Amino acid sequence: MKAETRMINAVVNGQHRSGEVEVRTPLTDFLRASLGLVGTHVGCEHGVCGACTVLVDGQAVRSCLMLAVQVDGREVETVESLAEDEELSALQQAMHEQHGLQCGFCTAGILMSLTAAERDGASVEDATCDVLGGHVCRCTGYQNIRAAIRQHWASLASNEEA
Amino acid sequence: MTTVEGNRYVGVSVLRVDDPQLLRGGARFVDDLTFPDMMHATIVRSPVAHANVVAVDRAPAQREEGVSLVLGPDECAAATNPLPCVWIAPGQRQTEVPLTSRSVHYVGQPLAIVVGETRASAEDGADAVMLDFEQLPVVTDAEAALAPDAPLLNPDWGTNVCAELEVGDPREEIEDAFASAAYVVRRRLRIQRIAVNPMETRGIVARWDPGTEHLTAWMSTQVPHHARDHLAHALRLRIDQVRVIARPPGGAFGAKDHVYADEILVCLASMRLGRPVKWIEDRVEHLVATFHARDALHDARLALDENGRFVAMHTDIVGNLGGYPSNVGTGPFRISMTMLPGPYRFDRVGGSLRAVLTNTTPTGAYRGFGMQEATWVRERLIDEAARELGVDPTELRLQNMLGPSDLPHTTATYQPYDSGDYPEALRRVANVCRPQGPHREGSVRRGTGIASHVEFTGLGPTKMQKLVGFHLSGYERATVRVEPDGSVTVSSGVMGMGQGIETGLAQLAAEQLGIPIERVRVRLGDTDVAPYSSAGSIASRSMTVGGGAVVRAAEIVREKLVRLAAHHLEAAAEDVELADGTARVRGVPGADVSVAHLAEQAWLNWDIPEDEEPGLEETFTHDPDSISYSYATHGVAVAVDVETGEVRLEGYWVCHDSGVLVNPMICDGQIVGGIAQGVGIALLEGFRYGPDGQPLTTTYLDYLLPLSEDLPTIDIDHLCTPSPFIPGGMKGLGEGGTIPSPAAIGNAVANAVPEIADRIVETPLTPDRLWTYFHEAGLHDADLDDQ
Repeated sequence: MKAETRMINAVVNGQHRSGEVEVRTPLTDFLRASLGLVGTHVGCEHGVCGACTVLVDGQAVRSCLMLAVQVDGREVETVESLAEDEELSALQQAMHEQHGLQCGFCTAGILMSLTAAERDGASVEDATCDVLGGHVCRCTGYQNIRAAIRQHWASLASNEEA
Repeated sequence: MTTVEGNRYVGVSVLRVDDPQLLRGGARFVDDLTFPDMMHATIVRSPVAHANVVAVDRAPAQREEGVSLVLGPDECAAATNPLPCVWIAPGQRQTEVPLTSRSVHYVGQPLAIVVGETRASAEDGADAVMLDFEQLPVVTDAEAALAPDAPLLNPDWGTNVCAELEVGDPREEIEDAFASAAYVVRRRLRIQRIAVNPMETRGIVARWDPGTEHLTAWMSTQVPHHARDHLAHALRLRIDQVRVIARPPGGAFGAKDHVYADEILVCLASMRLGRPVKWIEDRVEHLVATFHARDALHDARLALDENGRFVAMHTDIVGNLGGYPSNVGTGPFRISMTMLPGPYRFDRVGGSLRAVLTNTTPTGAYRGFGMQEATWVRERLIDEAARELGVDPTELRLQNMLGPSDLPHTTATYQPYDSGDYPEALRRVANVCRPQGPHREGSVRRGTGIASHVEFTGLGPTKMQKLVGFHLSGYERATVRVEPDGSVTVSSGVMGMGQGIETGLAQLAAEQLGIPIERVRVRLGDTDVAPYSSAGSIASRSMTVGGGAVVRAAEIVREKLVRLAAHHLEAAAEDVELADGTARVRGVPGADVSVAHLAEQAWLNWDIPEDEEPGLEETFTHDPDSISYSYATHGVAVAVDVETGEVRLEGYWVCHDSGVLVNPMICDGQIVGGIAQGVGIALLEGFRYGPDGQPLTTTYLDYLLPLSEDLPTIDIDHLCTPSPFIPGGMKGLGEGGTIPSPAAIGNAVANAVPEIADRIVETPLTPDRLWTYFHEAGLHDADLDDQ
């Protein structure tokens, strides 16, 4: 049985990308296989673990629960958009300094959720509780991720004051 | 960054070398690999728990669009050799497992493989494979499998018992000790079945080159060489025809400590098709296909004299092996017995095991490997003894603990404890572990709990492994090479899996050689490059045994560098110092030469002493003299809501000793991560089957993993008693967080609600389990505010 396909056009990490996809293709497969953006990982495929989190029109979504066709005409941001050239973003640097990752498999999803939270002006309490609470990490025990969030949010506050 | 006097790198919290790539999304896990002509495989698994496959029809699957290959159980079995078990108990009834079989022992057992152009077409094909089953009666509980009328997985055995074992002092002497003891505490304790759940599931990309008749397999594995050896054996290839390139797993924790049947079938498919084939386990599949862990029932006793001195301890274990013995088989249950004594003195101690087959996923290795279970059993018994005798549980422990002057001490369970101060770790935690609020506050009760353990690390002397039937050698071999440009390559047989070993080994080499760590590269995982390691990264051995080999290899290279520098600078070797990539003569400014220049000369074989070999590299094999024993005490403060059964962790303290800490930040990360898994065992996780052997916890809506809200901030204090055996003084550390944490939490809950303390014998302590205990104890009868 041949699956139906659709042509989609999206802006991914600032670039116009397009492709013909089967309508049943999840967004994760489109990003990873069609566009080669393998930084987004698949942990559960049922929307619980958060590893697949990307931003669609600035909102954090589980890409495993979206179909690729749903991003037609929209803007998608993945972890590959965070670092400027080879330099880690401030949030990535905070995670590095606080040892907020071990195997790294869940990390991209957490970074994207926090990126949306930062843009939305979330408080550090919301970031460490509600936002981080949507992610499963099997390695770190979360303590250092919370420390990285506090470090980064504190630097945002002092940048604002400056 | 913390610093250690005189050390540039060892003892320093160097930031991890692999972080930037991981943070940017530039790492390559197995599913990130792709080849232009790559195909995709789906594994067909049994939907029933106990059955014979009476008919297989591949034709409907072969007709599916995009499907290129369908191999059923008969084709797979005919083309492969069974996988040997690795840790074999004396008299073990089954010591190898066919990759496929028409005899089904558990839901999820692999039966066939379908390969298609896309993952979707392979999955469509898998749905179309027709299998007819003659179903058989099912048994999932290990104790039930011992009953005389239990369904038999192997009728010709006449039993479901796969192996039986006794460990420790002679049983008669143990029973005499119990019979004459003043007090005996006895409990039936259970450690539930766990599904390991690294965030990256298993997977493999297999590429058979028909021209060169060579197989390359990219795997998410802890054990590259071990996987390669077993792949070759199963596929009937010569070892030189197989190359494994291990990608650092996105978590492993023991579940990826061997090659699985399904992974081998993917390689077989590639051999048939002459094209690369990828298979990635999905999460629902992982919950039944990757080996489970724990699932042990202990009938355990502690005997004390009238003064509270520990006279004896014993446990009768019924261990659930699952449908087949796994690679490690009885191993975890066996370690539960050998590590049962923990840090205490006993007149007599021992255990007995019946390891039983049931219609469940095979059980294998998981962080803590039998020690977590032993600690649950022992520390709960000790707390129950303290409660029944009306004595303080910390005092009872101190009274019976081995002190530093008692070590070295060989237990009756054959463990030569090396060095440490167990009572000091306990005292430090006891001093700070306090309830974080009023003892009673509405429906909330607060309490604290403590647990102490000794941990077997740094597997191990090869002689010992041979003695106990563990078919893996214990040595590690490391190559340290200063390249012609002065940079350093370190090769080792251990494997990175998120535990930071790449950084740690680089620190060791950089420290020895006086070369900046930015110029040190650690290469792991490729069996064509890495020195042979049959054990790989298991059993908390990568930094101990692997690191020990790197230290010695780097020392030897340093000695040669010093000799070359002395020759070049016309100085005495004792006066040469190495730092920052330069060799200097102490006290003579200007008398220096770069390591890069010395290395270039060495590799050219120009102007080096007559008696020196060209080059600047050393391979050292380290086979440890003994196991290294780390230890810790954990303390936790809990708030238990009697109305809801909810347990909140309000404080957590650790005092831990694993000798020299090469990177304190990474070490603390391992402890905290290990504790998180212990919290999962204590409060949340549990894989369950229905009476028909159908898995009930098949998604993350049923199988609950710890989230950030479940983990308080953990306070870690360290003691440092260097290992007497390992060059560099490091002991193993990876599992220590998981081992005592469930026991500390159980003790805290029992302390908070002593009315139900005698029922705190089984994990997880979920709200519904605790609520039932509270209800049956009458705690919901009166107005809660009055209590």
